[in-house]
Amino acid sequence: MNPRTILILLLLISCQSPSAYADAQKKADDDTALLMATQQTFRNVAASMKSYLVRIDTVGGTQPGAQLNLDNDDIKKGKRRLQNPFRDTLGSGFVIADGPATGIVYSRDGYILTSSFNFAREPALISVTLPDGRRLAADLVARDHVRKLALLKVDADGLPLPTWRRDEDVQVGEWAIALGLGFGGREPSVTVGVISAKNRMQGNAIQTDAKLSPANYGGPVCDVFGRVIGIAVPMAQRAGELAGVDMYDCGVGFLVPESRIKLIVPQLMAGVSFQRGWLGIQVRSVPGVGVVVQSIADPSPMRDAGVLPGDIIEAINGSNLRNYADLAKQIYMIPAGQDLQIRLSRDGGAIELAVPLASAESLGSLPEAEEPFDPSVPVEENTPDDQEEPTPPAPD
Amino acid sequence: MIYNKHNTTKQPIPNEPRASARAELRTHKNLQAPNGLVLRNMLFAIFLSSAFLCLLTPKTYAGGFDHAFQTAQQRAVKLYGLGAGQQVGYGTGIIASEDGYIVTVLSLIISGDRIRAVTANGQRFEAELIKRDTDQQLALLKLKWPDDADASTKNKPIGPLPHYDFSCQELPSESCHHPLLPGDWIVSAGNPFKIADGAEQMSLAHGVFSARTRLDARRRSKDFRYTGDVLLIDAITSNPGSPGSVMVNLQGELVGMIGRLVISNRTHTHLNYAIPYDVLADFYLQATQASPDGTRELITKPVVEPFDPGIRISHTGFRTVLPFVDRVVRNSPAKRAGLRKDDLILSVNDHEVSDVSEFDKRIKARDPAESIELIIRRKRSILTIHIEPPEAKTQP
Repeated sequence: MNPRTILILLLLISCQSPSAYADAQKKADDDTALLMATQQTFRNVAASMKSYLVRIDTVGGTQPGAQLNLDNDDIKKGKRRLQNPFRDTLGSGFVIADGPATGIVYSRDGYILTSSFNFAREPALISVTLPDGRRLAADLVARDHVRKLALLKVDADGLPLPTWRRDEDVQVGEWAIALGLGFGGREPSVTVGVISAKNRMQGNAIQTDAKLSPANYGGPVCDVFGRVIGIAVPMAQRAGELAGVDMYDCGVGFLVPESRIKLIVPQLMAGVSFQRGWLGIQVRSVPGVGVVVQSIADPSPMRDAGVLPGDIIEAINGSNLRNYADLAKQIYMIPAGQDLQIRLSRDGGAIELAVPLASAESLGSLPEAEEPFDPSVPVEENTPDDQEEPTPPAPD
Repeated sequence: MIYNKHNTTKQPIPNEPRASARAELRTHKNLQAPNGLVLRNMLFAIFLSSAFLCLLTPKTYAGGFDHAFQTAQQRAVKLYGLGAGQQVGYGTGIIASEDGYIVTVLSLIISGDRIRAVTANGQRFEAELIKRDTDQQLALLKLKWPDDADASTKNKPIGPLPHYDFSCQELPSESCHHPLLPGDWIVSAGNPFKIADGAEQMSLAHGVFSARTRLDARRRSKDFRYTGDVLLIDAITSNPGSPGSVMVNLQGELVGMIGRLVISNRTHTHLNYAIPYDVLADFYLQATQASPDGTRELITKPVVEPFDPGIRISHTGFRTVLPFVDRVVRNSPAKRAGLRKDDLILSVNDHEVSDVSEFDKRIKARDPAESIELIIRRKRSILTIHIEPPEAKTQP
C-alpha cells in the first residue's frame, strides 16, 4: 500500500464512521418523520375547520376615534372621513383596514361569533359568507367591548357546528392552530403556535404564540383534533377598542376560551352588549398608604354603597392594591354590571363591600375633590399617568 | 401523545420527496463503506467525491429542520450593494445554476454599480445584473469570475456551485412544482439585518405555510406592483435583508423566495410572504433567454386594453357616497351580466368598495384581461355578478 492510499483511508475514516453515521441518521429520520406527522395534523385541522368558518365583509364606517366628534345623525348624513384615515386617534399606531374578517358558526340557526374588533368602524352593512358559499346580510346582535367579542345573526338553518374544547383540559405547551380569512380569498390562512399561558386577563383569556393578527381576529384557535379552544381577539391591559392590535404577529396573542364564551353569549343573544366598567371615583396614590379616594361621582354605585372621600381602597377581588396601576389592572377586564369585592380601610377599620361597576352613561358628574386636607399624609407626586383622572378606563 | 394519533392510525405521509432525500443520503453512506480494498484509482475517485460531499453536506443531519435548512442555506448568497435611507444595502439571493445565476428581488441593492455576493463557503464574487422585471419585482444576477479563474486562487467557486433547479421544462409537474398545503412546515434561510458575514451560517426561520393568495399590498404610500400569487407564511420574515431568502419545505425543496417588505391593504399589517416557485421558474426561464436588443428590462405583463364594463355612477352631490348604480349602459358587459340601476356595489374583485372613488380606483386598477366580479346588494339580498370581457375583436 502506498502512502497515498493510507492517507486516503485515514481521511475517509476520520470523515465519519459508517455505524455512527447510521445511528445518527436513524434518529434524524425519526425526528423528521415526527415533523411530517405534525405537519399532517396541521393540514387536517386546517381542512376540517373550513366548514365552520365564515367570512365577514363590512361596508362603510369610520376609524374608531373619529366618531368621537360626531353624533349618530352626522354619520347618517354621510359626514364621514372627517379625519385622515391614516391618523391614529387612539395612539395605538394602528389603522383598521377594510379587508374581510373571520367568524365562526356558533349555532345551527345562524348565530355567528367573531371579534368586536371587526366592527370598530361601526359599519353600515355587514355581510357574511357561509362555508357553503351563500352570502347573506347579517345583523350585529350585540358586542362585548371588554372581551372584544361580537355576535352576528344571519337567516340560515342547519349550519354545521364545530366541537369546542373545555378549557380546564387545555395544557400550556400544546399546539394551537389559528385560522382566518382576513387575507381574502376562499381558503383560510393558518398559523401555528403553542399555548403560552392560561388564566390571563383576569381569567378572560388564554395566551398563545401563534401569530394572531387582523387576518384571524374573530377566528378560531384549535387544538390538534380540530376542537375550538377559543376565539382570537386583540387584547391588552389597557382601555380602547384597538388596544392590543399593535401587538399583532408578535408572539403574544390572546383568545377568549370556551368557558368564558359560554358565560358571555347568552347575554349577547339577548341583545345586551357588555360595556366597559367604571368605578366613578377619583383616586390618588399615596406612597406607604395606598389608593385614597378623593371624590365620588353622583350618582354612582360607589356613592350608593357608602364609600367616602378619604377611604383607602386596600384590595379588589382579593388582590391587594399598592397604587393606581394595580387598581386599573384589576378592573380593565370587568364589564359594567359585575360586582367587585372591595376592601376599604376607614379610620383604621376594614370595610368589605360588594359594588357593581357602572357603565359610563349611568355615572353622574364628579364633584370637586372632597377629601379633607390632612397635612400629616404625604402626597405622592402625580405622574401624568395617574393624575386626577376618573378611575379607569379612559373613555374609548 | 399528540403524535400517537398519527402513528397508530398510519396516516399516509406523502413520502415521495423524502424518499429522494433519503436516496441521496444512502448514496452518501455507501460511499463511506467500501467493502475491502479495491483499486487505488477507484478509491481515489471515491475520496474525491466524498470530499466534495463533505464540503457540500454536513456529516450527519441532526433531524428537525436541519436537513431542510442546510440544503437551503448552501444554495443562498448574501448580497451587498447600494443602500439609501430605509432601503438597506444588503439582502439575500438564490443560486439558480452552476454557472452562477442568482434569482433575487428587485431592490436598490442591484441598482448600484457594484453588487457583491458571498456564497455559503465564504467565497466573494462580483455579480452583474442580467434582467429585471419591475412588474414582478424580480431580478436575475450572474456571478462573475475571470475566464482564466482557478478554484485554487479562490476567484472561482471551489467545487460545483450548489444550486436550485429553476429550469424544469415540464411545469407544472410533480418533480418541479412543490405544492404546499396550509399547515405545512416551511423553513427560510436568509440574512436579515446582515447578521451573518462571510462563511457564517445564515439565519434560519421556521413556521407554517398559511395560504396562497393574491398580493394586495403597498410599500410606504405606493401600491406594490406585483399583484400575482404569494405564499403567506407565519414565520416572521418581514425584516430588512430577508427579501430574496430561500424558502423550502421540510424536505429542503425550494417552494418560494421571500418577497419585498410590504404592508397588506387588507389588514394594514406587515406581510410575511414568499413568491411561489412557479412564478420564479417562469421568470428564470424568460430572463435567461437572450434578448435581441440586449435590454435588461423584462416585461412579463402583456399589454391589454381594458374594456368598459358600462357602469355609470354619479360622482356629484356630497350625499352620494355609496356606489349605487345610476345607469347601466345598453348592450354593455355589465348589462349582459344582469347589473341593474340602484344596485349597491359592495366589492370589486374581492376588494370592498365603500364609496364611489374606491369603486373607480378598483375598476381602474383591475387586471384588464380578466372578468370583473362584483358583489352587490339588491334590496335585502346579496348577489354576485360576473362581468365578462366582450368577445375579442377579430384581427383585420
